[in-house]
Amino acid sequence: MLELEGRRIPIREGDTIASALHRAGVRTFNRSLKLHRRRGLYCLTGDCPNCLVTVDGVPGVRACTTEARDGMRVERETGWPSAETDMLAATELAHPLMPVGFYSKTFIRPRLAWPLAERAIRRATGIGTLPADRAPRRLDARNVHTDVLVVGGGVAGLAAALAAAERGERVLVCDEGRLGEKVAPGPIRERLEALGEEARRSERIELLERHVAVGVYEGPLVPLAAEGGLVRVHPRRIVLATGAVETHGVFPGNDLPGVWLGRGAARMAGVHRVRPAERAVVALATEEGLAHLEVLRTAGVEIAAVLAPLELAERIPPEVRALPDGHVVAAHGRRGVRAITVASGGLREEIACDALVLSLGLAPRDALLRMAEAEPVLAAGDLARPGCSLAEAEETGRAAGRGEPVEPRPPESIKLGRDGIVCLCEDVSLRDLRDAWAEGWRSAEILKRYTTATMGPCQGAMCGRILASFVAARAAVGEAPTLRPARTTARPPARPVPLEVLAAGVHETGAKRTSLHERHLAAGAAMERSGSWLRPSRYAPDWREDHRAVRERVSLMDVGTLGKFLVAGRDARALVDRVFPCDVERLAPGRSRYLLALDEAGYVMDDGLLCAMPDGSYVITSTSGGAERMEAWLRNWIDRLGLHVHLLNRTAELGAINVAGPLARELLQRLTDDPLGPDAIPYPGHARITVAGVPCHAIRSGFVGELSFELHPPRSRGPELWDALMAAGRDLGIHPHGLEALDVLRLEKGHVYLGQDTLPDDHPGKLGLSWAVAMDKPAFVGKVALARMAELPLERRLVGLRFDAPPQRGMPLTLDGRVVGRVTSCAVSPTLGYPIGLGWLRAVDGAFPERLRAGGALATVVPTPFYDPEGARVRA
Amino acid sequence: MGLMIPCPHCGPREYTEFTFGGELRELEAPDPQADFERVYLRENLPGPQRERWFHALGCRRWLTLTRDIARNEVLDA
Repeated sequence: MLELEGRRIPIREGDTIASALHRAGVRTFNRSLKLHRRRGLYCLTGDCPNCLVTVDGVPGVRACTTEARDGMRVERETGWPSAETDMLAATELAHPLMPVGFYSKTFIRPRLAWPLAERAIRRATGIGTLPADRAPRRLDARNVHTDVLVVGGGVAGLAAALAAAERGERVLVCDEGRLGEKVAPGPIRERLEALGEEARRSERIELLERHVAVGVYEGPLVPLAAEGGLVRVHPRRIVLATGAVETHGVFPGNDLPGVWLGRGAARMAGVHRVRPAERAVVALATEEGLAHLEVLRTAGVEIAAVLAPLELAERIPPEVRALPDGHVVAAHGRRGVRAITVASGGLREEIACDALVLSLGLAPRDALLRMAEAEPVLAAGDLARPGCSLAEAEETGRAAGRGEPVEPRPPESIKLGRDGIVCLCEDVSLRDLRDAWAEGWRSAEILKRYTTATMGPCQGAMCGRILASFVAARAAVGEAPTLRPARTTARPPARPVPLEVLAAGVHETGAKRTSLHERHLAAGAAMERSGSWLRPSRYAPDWREDHRAVRERVSLMDVGTLGKFLVAGRDARALVDRVFPCDVERLAPGRSRYLLALDEAGYVMDDGLLCAMPDGSYVITSTSGGAERMEAWLRNWIDRLGLHVHLLNRTAELGAINVAGPLARELLQRLTDDPLGPDAIPYPGHARITVAGVPCHAIRSGFVGELSFELHPPRSRGPELWDALMAAGRDLGIHPHGLEALDVLRLEKGHVYLGQDTLPDDHPGKLGLSWAVAMDKPAFVGKVALARMAELPLERRLVGLRFDAPPQRGMPLTLDGRVVGRVTSCAVSPTLGYPIGLGWLRAVDGAFPERLRAGGALATVVPTPFYDPEGARVRA
Repeated sequence: MGLMIPCPHCGPREYTEFTFGGELRELEAPDPQADFERVYLRENLPGPQRERWFHALGCRRWLTLTRDIARNEVLDA
């Protein structure tokens, strides 16, 4: 049993949602996007949008390709209050008032009305509702490497797989359904089963059923979407055997429930053993259509008439009424097909029936094929030769499997009726196309954009070729240039895919933790993801408490995420001097310097500290996010310059705790006998000391603007050091701080966060960091570029800002209503008691404005640092 | 199968183990104008290109190779 909108529907073995619902008498599966027309089962091959339903809260599920399962909750997606009785169907009466290009023509003025109109339209249109409260599933992604990927497990695809396997290649075959499930009993089904058996026996062939190929990407890479996640297939070559879709017929009433594609009706009758209709008119123009006719008759469907070209009409059994060379003029009915008007031999006739079955021709299902540009892709079967025979499908499949290209046969142009729906997804009619054409939109690409035909969930699977035929017909009478191909560009996904499948594997990027992680959790810290790390945001519920501990007492921060490097070897100094812009020559052992890393264009890439060690080596720290890049960058220069340098990335090997605050020295002195005074470890300087028995490299740092010692212990001994510091500082009021307090502490000092306060083309001059660049050095990376830029006027710079009301980060800075900058950092400073910030500002008429607006706040440019401008506290 | 890169230290490895380092450029240029072109302008011509790759998920060393960027084939390393 499954449940349809509260109604219980019995299911049988082998049922899809579509077959179960059809057996229970459901005929309206959907309401169309704009006009709210009834839509019923049509293709049953997963190509059209007519049977999209919501299953267990998941919208956009194709009822015809989804197995019915016990307890499923199925809802039809469109229509209000329901798809069965849809009040919004009245929309169709207003259709003449909504011409093609309605949106472009109508929503121009007044601008203020847009949000209102948009809300009303959004409610009336669209397919399904995204489940807002549903927790996303964490799906996995896996990579598979193979010699040959075959997309499509039909006769051609399986033949290709077997041929490739015979040559010793490893083959992966994927099919969006189960092998053969869409094919009605008959010779094709029999051959398919035999080939499938053989493929399953082969050791070289892996078969992935219910795996949907999303697209063909460079590599080649073909992602397959499946229930459990994503499979990224990396094949050497690809065989596409995605088959063909039966041609969508265009005539008035062509989208009524009861109009079926032949394969759909045959599948319902032959596979699911459910009669698609009581009395049907069949219009056929293919060999396959004759087989469909037989399946329908066997199932007990009364055939009112068969419309067929002469050569096929001769092969129709004599007891069936054949109308040679007849064609469908229109289908009539309200809830579904009631009668068909046919034309045959100049005569028109209305035939009563409850179904019209169309086997009018075949169009290649070629979305993937058209996506492949430079990729090694071969097409086989119906895809290469639409409507090919069983033997031809197998033969072309084997050829493609051996790597031999198959000469394609172009599909025939499609004859269009008087009117009718061209694009089922977007409710675009033939008349809309004609109107758009008359307005001057005269190519397939531009018609697509103007009418939105081919832009729905089926991505042009049904209507793409109709649109092409429409343009081709115009070209034939000289109304369109014929040079450009009439098909529009194919883009992934080739089939509708749930977003959560595309996101498969994203959760696999784990967050890094420092050795102090457990300490933070025990202290009740709120944690956040910062780059690839998990870091404490705050310890106290209010970050200002963390902040106050640093400014007034003593505090700890886990900065183990900082990049930490040892540069040693004969050429250590030569490297550091050659690549960094700071003065290295005069950096004495035991002293350190603020370090900028520039790229060759002179733009700031990273920053950190440079410490000269007594043995001639250097210790470098970088930002947490820049550590990986810093290592690669340094190694590149070592390699390019041919230097003898040992570079050791000690980021993971060392922890780091910043002990900061006016009482920092007092705290540390309780745990060490090593001297800590300004003579022993001056600012900026560093030394190796032992704290609570743990050997550390201690670096005086100025980032938070207080007396600070950054201790680098071995990672494994970090927790022990943290505990000792916390215990020893209890009576001093020690309290750790997290990223939220740090953001304000550094802002009060006017220190920039690279990436937040900076733009990719910021050179040191724009950031007020020229003091960190020794232009008198013979060479450093970026020097030539900096010298060149120094001759140009400064067009933008980072400034300190004081506000009269708290602004928001990211707000534009305006001067007389003109945007001249942006706030990149801001906060109400607890120390100063007013809102401060950093922001970049453009020069206006050669000068930098001083008074600006940021939203409702007045912003005044002020010098930085905001706090302790002389740096007395840092140097203490 | 994507691109296999012959690492002199690790042998042929998937390109996904590497970080792309761009076109190989000269270390210096004779004058500021030439340096401007060296730093900011790329050749990016279809055909063979000398370029840098960093074996980030391997030996963490840099290598220089020639790749036909129109065909995405490594020509020599």
